Amino acid sequence: MPPSADLLQGTLDMLILRSIALQPEHGWAIAQRIQQVSNHVLTIGQGSLYPALHRLEYKGWIRAQWGASENNRRARFYALTAAGRKQLEAELANWGRLTGAINLVLERI
Amino acid sequence: MSQIWSRAKFFFAGKRRSEMDEEIQFHLEREAEANMAAGMPEKEARRKAAIAFGGRERAREECREERPSWSLESVWRDVRYGIRGLGRNPGFAIVAVLTLALAIGLNTTIFSLLDQALMSALPVKNPEQLVVLSFAGASPGHTHSNGGNDAGHRHEFSYPMYKDLRDQNKVLSGLIAAASTGVGVTWNNRAESVGAEMVSGNYFETLGVQPAVGRLFTASDESAPGANPVVVLSFDYWRTHLAEAPVAGKTLLVNGTPFTITGVAAPGFHSMVWGRTPDVFVPITEQKVVEPDWDFLSDHNSYWIDLAGRLRPGMTAAQAQASLNALFLSLRTAEFTLQHDQSAKARAAFIDRAHINVDAGAKGFSPLRGDVQTPLTIIMGMVLLVIGMAIVNVASLLLVRAAGRSQEFAVRYALGATSGQVLRQLLAEGLLLGGCGAAIGLLLAPQALHLLIHRMSGGSPDGLPFTPTLDWRVLLFTLAVTVLASLLFSLAPMAQFQNPKLAEAMKERGGSGSGRSLQFRRSCVALQIGFSLLLLVGAGLFVRTIENLRNVDAGFATDHLLAFDLDPQLAGYPGPGVAPVEQRAIDAVAALPGVRGVGATNDSDLAGNGISGDVEASGYTPKPDEDFDVELPWVSNDYLQTLGIPLVAGRHFNVGDTATSEKVAVVNESFAKHFYGNAQAALGHVVSRPNRKGTEATIVGVVRDVKHESVRDPAIATEYTLFTQAPKPAGLTLYVRTWQAPEATTNSIRGAIANLDSKLIVGNPRTMTKEIDENLLAERTIAMLATVFGGLAALMAGIGLYGILAYSTAQRTREIGIRMALGAQRGTVVRLILREVMVLAGGAVVVTIPLAMLATRAVRSQLFGVSIADPAVYGAGIVVICLVAALAGFIPARRAATVDPARALRTD
Repeated sequence: MPPSADLLQGTLDMLILRSIALQPEHGWAIAQRIQQVSNHVLTIGQGSLYPALHRLEYKGWIRAQWGASENNRRARFYALTAAGRKQLEAELANWGRLTGAINLVLERI
Repeated sequence: MSQIWSRAKFFFAGKRRSEMDEEIQFHLEREAEANMAAGMPEKEARRKAAIAFGGRERAREECREERPSWSLESVWRDVRYGIRGLGRNPGFAIVAVLTLALAIGLNTTIFSLLDQALMSALPVKNPEQLVVLSFAGASPGHTHSNGGNDAGHRHEFSYPMYKDLRDQNKVLSGLIAAASTGVGVTWNNRAESVGAEMVSGNYFETLGVQPAVGRLFTASDESAPGANPVVVLSFDYWRTHLAEAPVAGKTLLVNGTPFTITGVAAPGFHSMVWGRTPDVFVPITEQKVVEPDWDFLSDHNSYWIDLAGRLRPGMTAAQAQASLNALFLSLRTAEFTLQHDQSAKARAAFIDRAHINVDAGAKGFSPLRGDVQTPLTIIMGMVLLVIGMAIVNVASLLLVRAAGRSQEFAVRYALGATSGQVLRQLLAEGLLLGGCGAAIGLLLAPQALHLLIHRMSGGSPDGLPFTPTLDWRVLLFTLAVTVLASLLFSLAPMAQFQNPKLAEAMKERGGSGSGRSLQFRRSCVALQIGFSLLLLVGAGLFVRTIENLRNVDAGFATDHLLAFDLDPQLAGYPGPGVAPVEQRAIDAVAALPGVRGVGATNDSDLAGNGISGDVEASGYTPKPDEDFDVELPWVSNDYLQTLGIPLVAGRHFNVGDTATSEKVAVVNESFAKHFYGNAQAALGHVVSRPNRKGTEATIVGVVRDVKHESVRDPAIATEYTLFTQAPKPAGLTLYVRTWQAPEATTNSIRGAIANLDSKLIVGNPRTMTKEIDENLLAERTIAMLATVFGGLAALMAGIGLYGILAYSTAQRTREIGIRMALGAQRGTVVRLILREVMVLAGGAVVVTIPLAMLATRAVRSQLFGVSIADPAVYGAGIVVICLVAALAGFIPARRAATVDPARALRTD
């Protein structure tokens, strides 16, 4: 099941990694954050959020831990691992190159 | 450590379901809270949250699919699904599994024989270091060969050459020698003739064979001729003949001479030559005791021992060959000075054209390997055809079954299954069938192997170097065949389901299948008919061959004839005493009740061997470079009459011909014709061996040609002389012509011989018919297996065709109903269906016949008296396969024709 039609293949993973780069977050907050920051342009299909989180966890890029949420309830918080940080850097660099190249083409043609 | 454990647990178990539930629950509540914060009532907020989230179970499922062990789990699911599917259709499953079990079992059995004969290394230490030595160059003098030679590769060396090579080479860590022979062994006053190997002292050490009991030979056991009367027993002989008695240090008589048993060789070891199964080993320096006629130890011109070496570590066979060749040539140069013929021509043949070969010898040099290679390869080829049959058979059964499942698959596609998932499901089912078949086949294979070895060896416990066990190579091969076969037949139904159009599949219910699947089914039918016709033709050719061979007129009556070997030398009789005791034995047996006559020869008939040489015939001038060898048996007075070889001219031997009377000979027609033009002209001439005094004999009679070496070979020119007039003693084979069943006289013969001297051995009593059969081992085995394979192929073809035809006929029920409603008779309907089958079969037959002729060309060397295009064989094959096809078509056709038209029209 592809993430959202609006999201390029593989970009969901990058967005998730990026949104927990500063501090651990739980699933709902990750989805909310992406939605808010993108001015509701990017909506994360919730059916694809959790499989993605699981996938990233199995790959060893993120780590899950139970913690207390902002309203003091038990929630699963996801944090970047060292491997995840490296992966995020690589994906960002790649993304930068890709968008830069696309922009170049769009501007010059 | 605990981290690794938790990761492993994570890998397989993944997150617990409750954790996942809790996480989802949290998400929903948080979403609802946010909705309420936006001003929705609680109920509405929760509802919106649930809608936004979507199916909880699907989310769970998708999370699970992300787990690394997911693919494993899904395979297991496919397998379980497959088992359930097969269970729903047990008849199909049983037929498919049994077909595969038979094919895979056969395949494993035959491959195991092939593996043992052609691929297995000797059971010794580091077999890959072993090399086999052979040479090219003249070998004047005496050669005692056990076969296996070809141009440029003579395997027999002289003993002096062996010692020089062994002691002077710098490339081998050991060079060993062995010569095969037979001896008489007396243990606990019981005498019997056994197989023996004369070996060098370093034989066991170099091979790395361990003793099971006592000690094996060391280099010091090979000192001066006759100085080391010691013997090592083979494990099998010790177990079967000596009942594992404590033997080390005990004495045993070898040809009447006491030998001390030093030990027993490790189980599983037979010889450095694959195919030899000696019972006892004696040091090569005891040659004079083992073969009293020979004096080979000091003779440079007696070529009789096989050599094998072990390379020094790091040495390659090519390096060893270069080094050994230089040594060999310098030794040959020194040896040449001892030769009679010092001409330049002889020198060129002896030195210039000589070289030594060092070949990889992990499997051991083996003349037998060459003998069994062709038959085994042919049988393996037939087995592969059987496997091909089985694959097509199961594929067609699966196809029929899959056709019945088209709706199931259509539904699965409709529910979102991908082509890959359907393919995986089909593969899982196929592998399941293949796995079950292979398991049963592997269980049956050792039994089949045992049975086959037993049949091939004619029931005698020793003789063939095959064991009914499967090694890793065989198991690997079976696994590969199983997987490959499973892949092939499980992919067959994909031809029907790939890229399916749902609507069409649904519509297809009453139709006769799409064009492609129909074509595929037709190809299956044609392939099955083709394969089985190939196998039937093969079976026919080999059965004709064995029949022809059995019915060949040997030139004398082979029934009511019992043969046994008698060699007084094995009982310790000295040279001059041998012939008299043999004559007494012949007389004693002839006097037994029920015996019509006794004849003896040193050159047994139809046993696959011969004794031949060149002769000088008075009044005959040989053509330049003539090389005409004559069979030279030494026989008893009554031999020709007992066998019933008809006289053409002159007289038979008679009682007047004694050891002291004039030396006489009887020749056969081929002999007379070659040397004198006709039988009458031969009488009175004198025949002798070149350069051998005392071999001159006057021809007194000419007899009809008879087969000698085997029934396959044409008769050869033969000169019979009397063993009583022979220049040296020889062991004899006695032929006893009886009134009743020949086996019945065995015991009275043993009694009569024991009466004469209890040390004398009645060796290997067998009937002539059995001897001929043993001589035809390869042909018999091929014929037997080919018949089994042919029958199996016909059966499989029947089952496969029936399956396909039953299905396609059932598909046409509606059409048939219409035809019958329009007035077609039942007979017409049956004929209609049968005609289609027969047209298909005919097409397959027409295509197969040229292929069969091509394939049978490869086996021509194994055929006898039957052409590869024998019309009777092909005719019979075609009739059988057409009968099978007709029967397989008739049953469903009849069923279709008995359908009530009204009901047939109403279906769907």
